[in-house]
Amino acid sequence: MADEEDETGFDEELDDGSGGVECGHGKRKRLFSKELRCMMYGFGDDQNPYTESVDILEDLVIEFVTEMTHKAMSIGRQGRVQVEDIVFLIRKDPRKFARVKDLLTMNEELKRARKAFDEANYGS
Amino acid sequence: MADPARIKPETSYQSNQEVKSETAAGEDEEEGTSGEPSSKRLKVEPEKKKEKRQKVDEDEIQKMQVLVSSFSEEQLNRYEMYRRSAFPKAAIKRLIQSITGSSVSQNVVIAMSGISKVFAGEIVEEALDVCEKWGDTPPLQPKHMREAVRRLKTRDQIPNTKFKKITFH
Repeated sequence: MADEEDETGFDEELDDGSGGVECGHGKRKRLFSKELRCMMYGFGDDQNPYTESVDILEDLVIEFVTEMTHKAMSIGRQGRVQVEDIVFLIRKDPRKFARVKDLLTMNEELKRARKAFDEANYGS
Repeated sequence: MADPARIKPETSYQSNQEVKSETAAGEDEEEGTSGEPSSKRLKVEPEKKKEKRQKVDEDEIQKMQVLVSSFSEEQLNRYEMYRRSAFPKAAIKRLIQSITGSSVSQNVVIAMSGISKVFAGEIVEEALDVCEKWGDTPPLQPKHMREAVRRLKTRDQIPNTKFKKITFH
């Protein structure tokens, strides 16, 4: 999305130095600002969402990833995060479960297709 | 090996389906080909189910095409953002690795990015519900987001291992 208000530039510039006006989790740099804006628009928000809302959502997503990672580390093989652990943690949530299954299946298909394509080009 | 054209994702929108979640995704299709007599009868049923599911998928694909072809420009824009937006894999990988301290496989990053997007979507949809209910208009304000999080917490859709609930005093 286009660089709109001054607040966006304000936050990004000051994060390198003394931190922005609105610090969520301390002075961490914003990781997903651009992508989250597009995502919020895609999910139904305005074309230019408020920066504070984007910040709140980023904090929530980072917390979600952190929680999932910690949980995954504590089950299955300890200290490591594996796909099976994530699938197990997500089993009760139908949407997320279906999505993970979809993504992994499609990834396998793509890998197979790429491999077949490469063999066709360079194989005997 | 199964015909590539018949490989369909074993997605289910009901959590009651007996999908084997531990096996690799690509091997889910091979269930009926073990050759033992006891599974011969099972061979026919998964194939019938697969054909039905294939037809349902094709119907759904057609319906989606009809729907998308009738979108206005603003709707097309939004749909494109919905499909294309994604979390950067590098940042997610860095985040996970900073927590585990060891490297993670690519599949883990793919899975985590995917469910994070679904998670973000759930929050935004709930916040839009709240916004509408309170008589406000988008863009979403922080108070909508916080109320959405509060509601999702009561439905246990937000993982929280920090504050444990004490059931009995």
